[in-house]
Parts: sequence; C-alpha cells; structure tokens
Amino acid sequence: MTKLANEAAVVADGDLYRAAPKIYPRETDGRFQRLRKAAVIVLLGLYYVMPWMTWNGRQAVLFDLPARKFYILGLTFWPQDFFYLSWLLILAGLSLFFFTAVAGRLWCGYACPQTVWTEVFLWMERWTEGDRARRMKLDAAPWSAEKVARKGGKHLLWIVFALWTGFTFVGFFTPIRELGPRVLALSLGPWETFWTLFYSFATWGNAGHLREQVCKYMCPYARFQGAMFDPNTLIIAYDTARGEPRGSRRKGSDYKAAGLGDCIDCTFCVQVCPTGIDIRDGLQYECIACGACIDACDAVMDKVAYPRGLIRYATEESLAGRPSHLLRPRVIIYGLLLAAGFVGFGWSVTHRLPLIVDVVRDRNALYRVAGDGAIENAYTLKIMNKADAVRSFRVTLEEELEEEGEDEASVKLAGGAPLEVTVQAGEVLAVPVTLRAPAGHIHGRADVEFIVEAVDEPGVHYEAESRFFGPSS
Amino acid sequence: MRPPDPAPLPAVQRWGAVVWPSFFAAAVATMVFFAMFDPAELSRIAWVGVELDRKWGYTIGFFLFWICTFSSSLFTSLLLRGRG
Repeated sequence: MTKLANEAAVVADGDLYRAAPKIYPRETDGRFQRLRKAAVIVLLGLYYVMPWMTWNGRQAVLFDLPARKFYILGLTFWPQDFFYLSWLLILAGLSLFFFTAVAGRLWCGYACPQTVWTEVFLWMERWTEGDRARRMKLDAAPWSAEKVARKGGKHLLWIVFALWTGFTFVGFFTPIRELGPRVLALSLGPWETFWTLFYSFATWGNAGHLREQVCKYMCPYARFQGAMFDPNTLIIAYDTARGEPRGSRRKGSDYKAAGLGDCIDCTFCVQVCPTGIDIRDGLQYECIACGACIDACDAVMDKVAYPRGLIRYATEESLAGRPSHLLRPRVIIYGLLLAAGFVGFGWSVTHRLPLIVDVVRDRNALYRVAGDGAIENAYTLKIMNKADAVRSFRVTLEEELEEEGEDEASVKLAGGAPLEVTVQAGEVLAVPVTLRAPAGHIHGRADVEFIVEAVDEPGVHYEAESRFFGPSS
Repeated sequence: MRPPDPAPLPAVQRWGAVVWPSFFAAAVATMVFFAMFDPAELSRIAWVGVELDRKWGYTIGFFLFWICTFSSSLFTSLLLRGRG
C-alpha cells in the first residue's frame, strides 16, 4: 500500500474534532493483542461482576456513602480510615513509576480504563460496521438504508453498554441487587438516575468518540512519561538499523543487494495504530504501548519469511547494540519502596483497632458549678465499634495523670464507678459523660484522658484526650 | 522524544483540558473533604433551613468543588490563550 492510500485512511471528521482526523484502527491478531484481550476481559469482568458478588450475606464490594462505610470483602472501612486510601493511592503512584521504569507504558496498553473501554467499543464498531476498509467506505458513502442500519446498530450497542456501565458504577454505591428491580420499575431516585446517566455519558463519550484524543490531549501521564523513562526502559521500538532503507520489493528478490532494509513499507504498523502514529518515526508521546504494531509487523515478517521483531519491545541500549540492565538504582529503589509499602499496608489493615473514640465537649458551657460547689464538665463520647460483633466497653479515666499534679487527679467520673456500655456491631454510640472535681481543686484548665477498652478483649483499648475547665480563680 | 504539538488546540481539546483536570481535582477534593466532614452534620449546622440527606450533601459538595475548579481552569485557559 502506498503512502497516499495511507493518508486517505485519515478522513477529516465533523466540527467536534476539527483538526483531529478520525482514526480507523485496522484489526490485527498476535501475542500482544491476545494479552490485551485477556486484560480487557479480566478487568472489565471484575468491574461488571464484582458488585453482584456477596460476602457474608452482604455485597462483597460496596461503598456505602449514605452510611459512610466502605465494605471490601471482609473489611469495613470508616471515614477515619481515610489514611488507608491515601496510602493506597501513594502505592498506586509508586507502582506506576516502577512499571513505567521497567517496561514503559504498560498501564496505558493494558490497564487504563480509557483504553480498556475503548477496546470494547471498537469491538462493537467492528461487529456492526465491519473491518477497517468497510468502515472507511461506509463513512465516505452517502446515507443509505444499510448505513443507517449499521450506524444505528452501533450506537444502540454503545448506548446499551454505556448504560449498563453506568448502572454498574452506581451499583458500587447502592446495593445493586435492589437497584436492578428499581431500574425496571422506573423508580430510581434522582441521585441514582443522575450518576447512572452521568457515568454512562462519560463512558460513551470517552470510549466511543474521544478515544485516543483523551490519551493525546487530556492525559497527564503521557506528558511526563519522559521523566520516568531511561535508556534501559523497555519501549516499543522499530529497529531502524535493520529496517532502513524501507521500500517495496518483489517477493524473493535479493533486496539486500538492492540496498534495501527489512521494512517492506506495507504501513500495516501505521494502520493498526489506535492513536494513528508511525512507530518508525521513533518513540512518541502518543504511543500507548498497545503492541498492535508489533503483532502486525510480526505477521508481515512471517509472510515474507523475514525474522520477526523488526518492531519489538526493546531498550534504547539494546537498539544501540549495548547490553541493557534491568536492575538499576531507580528500579531497585522503587521496588524496595513498593515492597515495604505493600507489606506495611497489609499489616496495618489487618491489625486495625476495631474501635475509635471521639470526645466532644459540651459546647454550651465551659463548666457547671454543682450544689456542693464541685465543678462539673459535660462530654459526649462517640464510641465506634468497628467490629462485626456486639461489644461491651468500659470507660475510665487515666489515673497516671496523678503524677503530674494532685489537682488533676481530683477529676473523677461523676458516678464514681467506671461506665459500661454495649455497642452494636458497626454502630456509633453517643455516651454522655460528666466529669467532676471537688470545689477549689481545678483552676483554669486541666488535661484529662478517657480510656475506653473492650470488656472481653484486653487488646482493644483506646485513649482519647480532652480538657477539663474550672473557674480561673 | 518529539514534544507535544505546539499548534493551537482545537475546541474539543481546549475544553477537555478545562473539564477533565477540574473534574479530577473536584473528585479528589470531595473525597478528602467528606472523609473528614459528615454532610449530615454540615447540613444540621448550616443556616440554610433545608434538610438534606447525605447523598445530596455529597452531590452538592462535588458540584460546588467542580464549579470552583472548573472556573479556575477556564480562567487559566483564557489567560494562556494567544493574543492572535
């Protein structure tokens, strides 16, 4: 195929895109395409199936925003566990650095929701509109019954799939088994309706229409990938030394004698590229490392009986004929940080204290003077039982403060004896508590510390600090 | 590596560059904010006499954040536009 035909493949589209020509990726098969397909099936499979799975009688993964609790398999996360989410995001960032340093944009090629959903939308386009040549012909052709049917069918598939995606998204936040029947009964609340439509619209727009433009113009990762690459990073590369000078040749001819390289200039690598670049121009920020050009080129090399790998995963070093190193300082440091981060995260999540206590002082009065002249302060203890079982807790005051001063030791629980309360599984109990100090002992401010401990579990123990106020003189 | 195209961005890309980062920033801000503050409590102490449940709290909070970040991104894009 000539350069001209290749350019004709790029047809200017309507207003929405203006300068951006529509790309018709040619279909190809091979190792990397099968790997990508597997990644799509696993990742989207997880996305669409997960909300339907149950764990101990409740949705296995449910981000229950109205109740402010996240359920992930056997774990329950509270707003107070936000720290774990930040930690997880930091680990995700580090993983991205690590994998990018080792093998380039693996994330883009295999895991990014944008490319994964785009792939599925492309499949649907192929089912309805046919392969690349047919799609280009169809777009160029005047409107006909067939064109309406094919385009209509595509959009119908897209919209149904996008709506299902939006529905699933909301199903992560609202129990999906109750959501389904409510959709059928058309009795969704405004909140669910809005987010279903919003997420559907975003999926349809990003995966159906914007596609590679999201990667090229909206994604920050593509712009700073250069900072994460080094000469030992695996990238998808065209072997210029082997391929050039490119050119067409007669089958079985002695092309080397004619001064030609291994590239037969079939432009298949360009036609299969979902971002419309020519990998033979070198590494470009548009490349999402999907490997389609490798598969296409390998297939052509097989056909003309040249060795595979004219386009392949290679490092800059190896292309220059030098040895490449996998283990280098940046990879080792990222790797160690990641390992430590994941181990720490795992340990920390499984050793979380199933109890949180917040102390809220009575906001209406600093203190109250009782009939006998004693000073009283009122508090509300919010005792959160994060365990999956009912628990009894004992509330006492820290006694060791005695060492700091006689006066502070005079502050006691108003009832004298320790309080005992029972909190249901996963519930927050507000316990009013009054502290009391005999007249004349506390002037100004004193520190107090509440101790809440599970009656039957010695390890479950929480200390919460607060203040006790008395008259200033 | 070839640097990104310096030519002026088509409309869809310019809007993408405003909508998307502002959406992302608003999502992060919403997450951090509501992890610390319970919208039900906020609704209780607000002087606006409307009883809002948490879902509405989150939704309104998200869009408030988005309006702020969107305006800021839009303003930046206007400032960065060439004089031509």
